[in-house]
Amino acid sequence: MSDTLIKIRGMKFSRGERMIIDGIDMDIPRKGITAIMGPSGTGKTTLLKLIGGQLHPDAGSVEVDGQNVHKLKTSQLYALRKRMGMLFQSGALLTDLTVFENVAYPLREHTRMSEGLIRQLVLLKLNAVGLRGAAQLMPSELSGGMARRVALARAISLDPMMIMYDEPFTGQDPISKGVLVKLIRELNDVLDICSIVVSHDVSDTLSIADYAYVVSDGEIIGHGHPQELVASDSEWIRQFIDGLADGPVPFHYEAAPVLDELISGDNRS
Amino acid sequence: MSTRTIEIAVGLFVAAGLAALFMLAMKVSNLANYTGDDGYEISARFDNIGGLKVRSPVAASGVRVGQVTGIEYDSGGYEARVTMSIDPQYDKFPTDTAASVLTSGLLGEQFIGLQPGAEEEYLMAGSEIELTQSALVLEQIVGQFLYSKAEE
Amino acid sequence: MMLLDKLQSLGHKSLSSVQRLGRGHVFLLHVLPAMQGMLFRPSLLIRQMYSVGVQTLLIIVVAGLFVGMVIALQAYNALVDFGAEDSVSVMVVLSLLRELGPVVTALLFAGRAGSALTAEIGLMKATEQLSGMEMMAVNPIERVIAPRFLAGFISMPLLAAIFSAVGVMGGYLVAIELLGLDAGAFWSQAVAKVDLYHDLGNGMIKSAVFGFVVVWIAVFEGYDCVPTSEGLGRATTSTVVHSSLAVLGLDFVLTALMFNE
Repeated sequence: MSDTLIKIRGMKFSRGERMIIDGIDMDIPRKGITAIMGPSGTGKTTLLKLIGGQLHPDAGSVEVDGQNVHKLKTSQLYALRKRMGMLFQSGALLTDLTVFENVAYPLREHTRMSEGLIRQLVLLKLNAVGLRGAAQLMPSELSGGMARRVALARAISLDPMMIMYDEPFTGQDPISKGVLVKLIRELNDVLDICSIVVSHDVSDTLSIADYAYVVSDGEIIGHGHPQELVASDSEWIRQFIDGLADGPVPFHYEAAPVLDELISGDNRS
Repeated sequence: MSTRTIEIAVGLFVAAGLAALFMLAMKVSNLANYTGDDGYEISARFDNIGGLKVRSPVAASGVRVGQVTGIEYDSGGYEARVTMSIDPQYDKFPTDTAASVLTSGLLGEQFIGLQPGAEEEYLMAGSEIELTQSALVLEQIVGQFLYSKAEE
Repeated sequence: MMLLDKLQSLGHKSLSSVQRLGRGHVFLLHVLPAMQGMLFRPSLLIRQMYSVGVQTLLIIVVAGLFVGMVIALQAYNALVDFGAEDSVSVMVVLSLLRELGPVVTALLFAGRAGSALTAEIGLMKATEQLSGMEMMAVNPIERVIAPRFLAGFISMPLLAAIFSAVGVMGGYLVAIELLGLDAGAFWSQAVAKVDLYHDLGNGMIKSAVFGFVVVWIAVFEGYDCVPTSEGLGRATTSTVVHSSLAVLGLDFVLTALMFNE
């Protein structure tokens, strides 16, 4: 059993004419929190979908626990997915089921456990995220942060070997964010699994990550332990980590020089 | 909505649909005529069938006893050959029964009227009716009328 | 040159329409085999038959009643000049069984149930529920799409039958109570002129075909929509428009095939 859970080699992915991922190699360790960070729209979520087999790459390969994801048959892929947990940005709870039923869903689908046993497990998972009392609520009655926590409880119901988090901190108030940060770290340590956090929230993510990759324009522009990145002198990494308005990622959207445009006057066609 | 209520509602819905189908079949269609799908086929030749169509009724004394099942043009004899299916319970038509193309009402649809003869043998499957009376074609009648008037 | 641009955009639009048509067929090929999942989970189908069939009942019954009554009135007006008012029942029954039952039901179904299906599935796509199911190793086509598809296909002929039956009742009420026609003549005329296989049977075949097409369009538009609120709105409109046109177009083809005398 090697140290690396996920091996990505030579990954290329495009949508239409845009090259979203242009040659990425990544090694994600079996234990610990690995962060994938970068500006918005650089294909971080796409990476997660490629790992989970929901998208097929133009070139390159993804190996999860020794299996090439895109060469698996449907039944094998489904078997692999049962060992992966995924937390979507919106939680993706099933809206016509209660919180309890949402967390119980994977158990009811994939195991033959008795209702009594399922109930115990669901309540324990909900307890781990602090929402045992909300078991009978409907998803529409939950706040965004609570919905994400329920989705997290659901993601761990089959005791997966890894959890992928898609922008877990985006749009959260400081308290909810603090809760989620704490939960991600604790769950990872208690369950002793691999967590992949995709985010553009530098400070919170780096505070819990064991290793981080910085992605921009479809390529990896840096990777290392959080302390290494913070001390880095690469321009790209500096701009991202410090949140500078202008740098390798320019402030101005591509346009003709300002004087030319002003002089040409009315340029409505 | 509890599962039980939903299941009852769906059950009622399906039952209502089937009941509607049933009602339509029984009350407003000629289902009765179909219980005797195994009628016997006879044929007849006409000079002119007028507006007779497949599935037009065949009646005796005004009572429906069968329907037209086929209409063909016989190029050998230069006339129309009509096949019809008679319901099995009406099996006592003498072999010299006459078949005429009649009109129901003044402007109604055309049908075949059977006038029984006096022979002792009866029509069976495959029999042909010898005595036929073609449809009255309006133009011919008008033509005859004018012709007879012109002669006076 | 403007003309060239317009031609290019026309070509592009035609190509993407054709591509969409192809996607819709591939989609169907995925949905049909996925229906076996319902053998193990009949509750999925029952739940959808409630939401798609039972909840469309009210509008179908009310519409059927009014349509039947109107036909009786109009048929009377047309026939009374020929002294043929006894044939009112024949007109009511035949026009309902052959055309109005299947077609109007299909149009109402597309508007009420079809658009709801598109919205529901589209919303599930937009909130990543379909994606979430995939990641939980549950096939959303089997679990979400196929039950809705089958429910629509079964419900349509049932609804069309109810529409026609209620329409005939409505026509009967108008004919007997309002117009003073003879009740006996009403039913006997109908029995004489309406054929079980030719009229009722063909009408039911029509509504089954319509049901298949309307549900297919509704479900595909939802599944294929752009997962934004604007995309969802466009998808539901598209469902109603496309399925209505498809129904009317198919009606012509089927009528020409079936009622060729």
